[in-house]
Amino acid sequence: MQYSTIFRYLFLGIFNGFVVYLVPLTIAFESWFLLIITTIITLLVNFTYATNRLKPLKWITPGMIFLLSFVVFPAAYSFYVSFTNWSTGHILTKQQAIERLEDLTYTKDDQRGIEFDLYVLQDQNLEYYFLADLDNENLLFGKAVEENEFNEINFANHEPSFKNPNGEILIPDNLYLLSGKEQIANSSQLQELSLLVDKNTRIQLYNISVFGASSGRLLSAQQKYSYSAETDTLYDNVNDLACTLGNRGNFICNGQTIDPGWRINVGTENYQRIVDDERFRGPLRIVTLWTFQFAFFAVFLTFFVGLLLSVSLNKDNLKFQKIYRSIYILPYAIPGFISILVFKGLFNPDFGLVNDWFSPLYELLNIEPINWFRTKESSRAAVLLVNTWLGFPYMFLITTGALQSIPKELLEAAKVDGATSRQSFWKITFPLLLVAISPLLIGAFAYNFNNFTLIFLLTSGGPPIVGADVAVGYTDILISFTYDLAIAGGRGYQFGLAASVTTIIFLIVLLISAISFRYSKRLERVYGNL
Amino acid sequence: MAIYKFTNWFREFGWRHLVGLLFVTISLYPILYVFTNSFADFANLQNSKLIPDTFTTKHYQSLTGDPLIPYFKWLFNTYKIAGIAGFLNVLLGTFAAYAFARLKFKGRRVGLITLVLVQMFPSFLAFVAIYLLFFQIGDVAPLIGLGTHIGLIMVYLGGSIGFNSWLIKGFMDTIPTSLDEAAKVDGATDFQIFYKIVAPLSRPIIVVLFVITFIGIYSDYILAAIFLKDANLYTVALGINIVFMDDFANEWGSIAAASVIAATPIAVLFIFFQKQITGGLTAGSIKG
Repeated sequence: MQYSTIFRYLFLGIFNGFVVYLVPLTIAFESWFLLIITTIITLLVNFTYATNRLKPLKWITPGMIFLLSFVVFPAAYSFYVSFTNWSTGHILTKQQAIERLEDLTYTKDDQRGIEFDLYVLQDQNLEYYFLADLDNENLLFGKAVEENEFNEINFANHEPSFKNPNGEILIPDNLYLLSGKEQIANSSQLQELSLLVDKNTRIQLYNISVFGASSGRLLSAQQKYSYSAETDTLYDNVNDLACTLGNRGNFICNGQTIDPGWRINVGTENYQRIVDDERFRGPLRIVTLWTFQFAFFAVFLTFFVGLLLSVSLNKDNLKFQKIYRSIYILPYAIPGFISILVFKGLFNPDFGLVNDWFSPLYELLNIEPINWFRTKESSRAAVLLVNTWLGFPYMFLITTGALQSIPKELLEAAKVDGATSRQSFWKITFPLLLVAISPLLIGAFAYNFNNFTLIFLLTSGGPPIVGADVAVGYTDILISFTYDLAIAGGRGYQFGLAASVTTIIFLIVLLISAISFRYSKRLERVYGNL
Repeated sequence: MAIYKFTNWFREFGWRHLVGLLFVTISLYPILYVFTNSFADFANLQNSKLIPDTFTTKHYQSLTGDPLIPYFKWLFNTYKIAGIAGFLNVLLGTFAAYAFARLKFKGRRVGLITLVLVQMFPSFLAFVAIYLLFFQIGDVAPLIGLGTHIGLIMVYLGGSIGFNSWLIKGFMDTIPTSLDEAAKVDGATDFQIFYKIVAPLSRPIIVVLFVITFIGIYSDYILAAIFLKDANLYTVALGINIVFMDDFANEWGSIAAASVIAATPIAVLFIFFQKQITGGLTAGSIKG
């Protein structure tokens, strides 16, 4: 058998096994959308690999499934979510919310707070029985059961034989009546037990008495709301009134919104909030502006340091070049989340090293040591300083590469023509370097524009912007702001709103990419003939 | 004369060494600091310094045996997730790249343009949608929903497959087609050409992309953060940052030790592949 055949059947086997797992579940959970998607993918995959007609697809399909499912589809889905009110209180679908509401129970007023004598009995097998003396028509006796035995077999019966004509309780010989002390000794076990009256009502031991009979209480669980599918309304069984359907994905009973609600399409409301709501728009403007500033300065500073280093070290016959280079790689080689964590320690205002270094400066200027993550300016400076440390090696590497690829003859020709070294740097080296690496600089801009890890791990976005409607801070960039809105849950989970901010991010990234394409084309035209 | 010589040397070379040494200090200081601190015998951040007075391995020992801080479990999780996702990533990426590089079919150009467009948007941008998607998938199929490694691996797979296919395709384009044509004449099938000729010759780029993908997933925070809520399932990035953060200053020794263990293999791997990694990242953009 050929490898390709083995491969094909192995892949098909795993894939179809997965589908067999998924399909019954989607049906059980009535998740039709997932079922449709699964069916389409399954048909496509099986058709591709069972026939010989779609040769290229055989190669592309596996990767394409993941690319479409987890990159393309989420982007579209995010756009869809931005038009919903998906948020805390509106997490569920309407059907799920109704199910949740119908599960809610309450205790009827006339059953609340009634106490009556309750006798705890035991048979030879040490099984517990309750005898509840509610009234003359209801002398209920039955097995006391735990929650897992709540079923009709164990419903209590009216047993008048347990009482003599004088109204005294008679206990049959095969049962033993526990005294108050014995009840106290076994109270933890007894608390778990109930005497079942009917489907919705049960009796529990409420108060153990050492002298007389202990008392019991009714616990009833009536369905709080009933839903009628024909009229699409909810009926409030507690107050006996019909609830109306609100327009925000809620039922409204007696003027009050009922929780949980469900998610509905709210049109452009989230986008309107971005534009109109001052308490949201204000922070968003601060965040957006800072995102651009951060990305720009991040690129500028790392590029500046990287270029300074590569120009300094790009010199023939300079000793130790290799050693320098291998050391400069280190900050780039260490995973970012580690370095950021370490810098969080170094910037600690009380015992961090950065303030130790700066202490002569503080004394000279006679100022207090900086509490780095306390104020807007200092935390932003800290973010940029750390990013410069993390990013300069990359810029050093690419500028070194670009410098070395600039033809020596050009610079020599300039020298012959009498150019100073400064002139030849600014007129020849620098422009050529910029042409070579401008796509990478734009790439670095786009990367830092969404540099979630740095912001989230170093400052978590802080210090907070006071007076904002949402949890947001001065070093938050758009993507970490989105995270605060949707996942962190400081002020509830606002998925719809977060998705609308995601749309903004997508648009900006699209813009950056478009500029990148154009800009690199144009520069090539300008300098391409050199 | 000696002074003149020195000034000359300084103008030519000396200042370069000054700049070089300054940045050597800046680069090394935090790294050395965390390294020595991981062996240092002091309780907290407050008493830390670059060269501690006494040395101990107690911080490393503190990383084992505490069920509340399953550090090596995090490490194992991370290697598992990044290893599987990285491997499948380049495997599926190589398949797709082969079709784009060697087969002629309708929609090839459109497919390539789609790849370029899609790779501009990192998959984590839509993390809200990914979260909600897997939140719902989890109701139906708990095996792949939120809180599972399988779900996370699938998301990582989608995330870099476009980028990888594109770069592998670019590399395959440089392999002369005369080789496969000769094989075809001898009656080789497409899969044989792929398996015996094109894939082995593409190994350099495949290895580098595996390393890049591996390191990328190893260092990811946001997707792991939205997926994993159980401390036993954390990746090392999540574990260190969530569990140790409560008592940052007092846990400093353990943080340093945990950082050294988590960072060293990745740094070694990176330095080993440094030329190819930076070469791969900048391929095509640097021209004379």
